[in-house]
Amino acid sequence: MAATSDYVTLVSSDDYHFVVQRSSACISPAVKRMLDPMNGFLEAKTNTVRFDTINAMVLEKVCEYFYYSEKNESARDVADLDFPTELCLELLMAADYLDI
Amino acid sequence: MNFIKRLLLDCNPSRNITSSYTNTQIDHVRTQRSQYAQIAEDYRRRRAADPGEGPSTAAAPTQDQDEALAAAAQAEEDEKKTKKRKRKEEDAIDEIKKAKKAKGGKAAEKKEKAIAKKKAKKTNPDLDDSDDEDYDIDYKKAKPAPGQFEHCESCNKRFTVTPYSKEGPDGGLVCTPCGKEMTKDLKKEQKALQPKAAAGKRRRKVESEKLDGVSTGGAKSLVQLCLQRVAQHHDDVEELGDLPPKLLERLSEIFSKKRVMKPKTLPLFLRPDLDSVVVHDAAYLEEEDYLQMFSVVPNMKKLVLSNTCQLKDKSMDYMLERCHELRHIALYAANLVSEEMWHRLFQEAGAKLEVIKLKWLDAAFEDEAVHDMVQCCPNLERLKLKLCRRIGQDSIDSIAELPALKHLTLHIGREVSNDALINLIEKRGSLLETLSLEKFLDADDAVVEAIHDNCNRLSKLRLSENDTITDAGFTALFTNWPNPPLTFADFNSTRDVDNNNPTGPEEAVGLASSGFAALMAHSGPSLKHLDIASCRFIELSAFCDVFNGAQSYPALEYINISFCNKVDTSVVAGIFKSCPKLKSLVAFGCFDVDNVVVPRSIALVGVPRAQDAIEQFGIGVDVDEAVGRMVEVGA
Repeated sequence: MAATSDYVTLVSSDDYHFVVQRSSACISPAVKRMLDPMNGFLEAKTNTVRFDTINAMVLEKVCEYFYYSEKNESARDVADLDFPTELCLELLMAADYLDI
Repeated sequence: MNFIKRLLLDCNPSRNITSSYTNTQIDHVRTQRSQYAQIAEDYRRRRAADPGEGPSTAAAPTQDQDEALAAAAQAEEDEKKTKKRKRKEEDAIDEIKKAKKAKGGKAAEKKEKAIAKKKAKKTNPDLDDSDDEDYDIDYKKAKPAPGQFEHCESCNKRFTVTPYSKEGPDGGLVCTPCGKEMTKDLKKEQKALQPKAAAGKRRRKVESEKLDGVSTGGAKSLVQLCLQRVAQHHDDVEELGDLPPKLLERLSEIFSKKRVMKPKTLPLFLRPDLDSVVVHDAAYLEEEDYLQMFSVVPNMKKLVLSNTCQLKDKSMDYMLERCHELRHIALYAANLVSEEMWHRLFQEAGAKLEVIKLKWLDAAFEDEAVHDMVQCCPNLERLKLKLCRRIGQDSIDSIAELPALKHLTLHIGREVSNDALINLIEKRGSLLETLSLEKFLDADDAVVEAIHDNCNRLSKLRLSENDTITDAGFTALFTNWPNPPLTFADFNSTRDVDNNNPTGPEEAVGLASSGFAALMAHSGPSLKHLDIASCRFIELSAFCDVFNGAQSYPALEYINISFCNKVDTSVVAGIFKSCPKLKSLVAFGCFDVDNVVVPRSIALVGVPRAQDAIEQFGIGVDVDEAVGRMVEVGA
């Protein structure tokens, strides 16, 4: 596709699709590189990124984090994002993978 | 007839009633009245709690006082028989009432208040009551004195009044356990209502996070949030799964910082496939834990144990037996390890060792051990010996023989002659990339000259806490020095310390204006970390020349100018302008600096301002605007 659309799709390992804004998703350098048209990846052409190691619950929190981070970019003393503790370790692995 | 008159008649039938009552009489009457009230209340209470068992006559207020007395006596008897069961029932009913009250909320409370008000209106504690009101009077009880019995307002139990008995919400007294609960509830409420004016505490948290490398502007990274959560619930974590080693290290750092690295949590960080074990706070770990460590991770190449107070010979022995791949050993405060064990360590594992870092060894570790180390560790590249009390000059001579040494850090308490230092530098200087000599108070210009002559690969140089080297010596060091520009320069606390001469000697001692200028001229292009704390004889003019805005220091990220009291706001402005990559500026004790506007993403630590936080960080102003504003204010 010649024009880059405003929204991209993130797919979890259990086939849940999350449609998020491109600018928010690109907070993750990994996603940014995947979606960069210059690099010529399949993800960039289809505007979809599939994560086989991240399940839907975790990916949902990740998307929430994208928006939270973008919203509070220049704010001070922001409140921490809340998430269920059970999700913590998987979320940590996903965050490390995505470098966010 | 007036109740009082009647009472008086009861008490003193023969007495003639006069209209002027004395105080004692009135008091007497009042106490009697309160006793009656007490009894009436008892009765009423019991009736309210258990209508079945008490006498089934009309409601208490309408009864005559005498009847009330009799009824009360009767009720008391009944009560004695089934005291326990009743009490349990009462408690249960009270709990339900409480729960209902909590559920009912405001509406129920209002209703109750209205009823209470009506009752209050009815009562008229004045002495001239009308006769009709006699039976309806709700007697206001005097507070029972300590020692007397009273019924708790909330749970209805009987208890002895003490001077510490708390007051209940309706004015009566509550028993001790209910009182405790009440204060607990009150405290919780207060805490909830308290505005986040715990500003000092929050600021401290912010400061602490900043020092941990967590950025304070904007949102925290998700990794950081998760790590915090794991550390918060360290008790519940059973297994860390497949975390990559880097995250594992970060997590272990956080655990150590929170002092929860204990025998229970240590196994989380031990996996057979790991090749490093880093525990920054091993204070809680005991012998079994060390044995476990070495048995689970036998192929470890890097072992870092700080505060290892409990590391003993037996554990070290096991380590030497199991772990044959050790390359990097850092043991801080391992004071229970004996001298022989140190020798054994070097003899058995020395061949492969590349990094040795030992700090805080007070009891053992003599010069002979260092000698052994040098003999047995030919591949040693990094050596850090700090605060090991028993080593001295002989160690320096031994270290001078290490063939592969690239990074050397020394902080030796005992006296070391300058010749020994010069010998060391002459022999090893050409290979050295890091040289750190802390608190060698008597090192003089000759040492610095030796550095100039022999070191041409240095990238990190620290010469701190010294009051002998002169400014001229420093200037000579940085002038015409073939060494490429340094990346790390730390000359803190190099100055003359003499209470009788606060302005310093004529010929400046320590890093002063010309030395500083020479340093920046030499290393400016690639300097990342600059620490000149307490070099208080550097003049304002020197600062202004170096940080004049026109000159740029492209790599400089951290500057520490604490206690250089000649610094003022223009210098700070110049620093902001000259250092595009600046992340952190530490300026404690610089009292001429104020009204600083901090640009975005720079953390300014230590500038005094009574109302503000110790740390100010940029809120989104960029450098030019910030400097502009400061210049306006200054001008």
